[in-house]
Amino acid sequence: MLFGRIHLAGAIVFAVIAISLAVSQTQAAAPPNQDDAIQKDFGSRVAKYLSLRKKQAGSSPKPTESSAKLAESRRGMAAKTHAARPYAKQGDIFTPEISAYFRRQLAACLAGPNGAKIRASLRHAEPTPGFTPRVNEGYPQGEPLQSTPPTLLLNLPKLPKELQYRIIGRDFVLYDTAPNVIVDLIPGAIPAS
Amino acid sequence: MRQYVLFVVLLVSCASGCAQSTTPAVQANFSREIASLWQDSGPATPQTAGTSDGLDVRLPLESQSVRFAVIGDSGTGEREQYEVAQKMEAYRKRVGFDFVIMLGDNIYGGHDPKDFTKKFEQPYQPLLDSGVKFYAALGNHDDPDIERLYKPFNMNGARYYTFKRGDVSFFVLDSNYMDPTQLGWIDQNLQNSKSKWKICYFHHPLYSNGKSHGPDLDLRAQLTPIFKRYGVNVVFSGHEHVYERLKPEDNIYYFILGNSGKLMTHDFRPAPEMEKGLDTDRGFMLVEISGDKLHFQTISRSGQTIDSGVVERQSTQSHSAAAGH
Repeated sequence: MLFGRIHLAGAIVFAVIAISLAVSQTQAAAPPNQDDAIQKDFGSRVAKYLSLRKKQAGSSPKPTESSAKLAESRRGMAAKTHAARPYAKQGDIFTPEISAYFRRQLAACLAGPNGAKIRASLRHAEPTPGFTPRVNEGYPQGEPLQSTPPTLLLNLPKLPKELQYRIIGRDFVLYDTAPNVIVDLIPGAIPAS
Repeated sequence: MRQYVLFVVLLVSCASGCAQSTTPAVQANFSREIASLWQDSGPATPQTAGTSDGLDVRLPLESQSVRFAVIGDSGTGEREQYEVAQKMEAYRKRVGFDFVIMLGDNIYGGHDPKDFTKKFEQPYQPLLDSGVKFYAALGNHDDPDIERLYKPFNMNGARYYTFKRGDVSFFVLDSNYMDPTQLGWIDQNLQNSKSKWKICYFHHPLYSNGKSHGPDLDLRAQLTPIFKRYGVNVVFSGHEHVYERLKPEDNIYYFILGNSGKLMTHDFRPAPEMEKGLDTDRGFMLVEISGDKLHFQTISRSGQTIDSGVVERQSTQSHSAAAGH
């Protein structure tokens, strides 16, 4: 009789723990339909930026023998892109909801079965560059680019070919390659190992 | 005594019978062992005799062959890069290669016009003047959106691309940013390729025994299943500032050449996977492909041949076996 009561109490405690764990996991990961809405919002903000940049600053030139022409075109595009969004600030694209979504995705990847390989890939690249990324500024000339691990890219929303996800130290950056402009960023998005 | 002789004869004939019935995959491995043995001694007939330039050429220089040079991590603009380039030009006159593949970090530091002049156009001027074409891959020190549009790099505005010479298809990847679109592209293009030889090159090595960077494990996890599935023969990478030839992995030959401008001295960790390495000088490679054989020769800045050998083209069966199909 006594053993029966102990078993019953144990089962109740186990059930309570299991239910609370399930509830906390549900709270940490947004429901799929909510993630869909966040991804859609992100996609439309990206498209709006790219449309503005193309309209105001144009696109990459055709291949040329002249490195001078390429440098000149890059400078012109950067200046026009800055001018087109003079008040651009962190969070214009990575809103709090979108940032939270990306943080969840990145954390899940790094905690998942490929996490160790991704971390190794990040360590394999050049050391953290000596600059702090800022919205609407460029990636400094001469600084090496950190490669973005492919498994991370497989788990993030697809971007138009003009834009890339970049990692600078622990910051996560949306980068426009043609004008060399940091479009937006999430500071400290890569969880510390 | 007679019984002993009979036993030896029986043993020898049995061994030769076994060798004849060996599967293609094993034959390919057998050829590799020969290549490994061969690399220290060089080919039977080094092409130095009777020449005034004194260059040690270990390629067969067969007619109709595909010949090219390989450089990686070259664009420093420093004296050593120029010295390697001079050696390349001397060999071009003998070997007659007509293109160079660049494994990334083509321009270090700034990307102003003066940088392109000092770090590419000037050192390789004699090669460019002779009509040699350069096909660049992007490294982590390169500016992707300027270099892909720079015509002398022959990227035609793309971060990743393919080109063909004779029976050899080259697949040039951007390992800085291996997004799903690029993974789909390489999968599709390798699948469609009917070339005898499939060579991939990109900046970050999948296997490496260098201490400063080492292998890119995440990139390896994504690319090697594709390479195995479609029978890639050889992979060239840079990034690690050394020369390394590795033992074949899954029937694919991997070379690292990241010392055509930069150098990381004493960078190697001892590893059984390494076939040959150099971490004390800069260098470049010469490659000649003829039929089912790929001949290679790695030459240091001082003109020494530090590695040479031949790779036998892997059969489709051996690739299938390696891929587990």
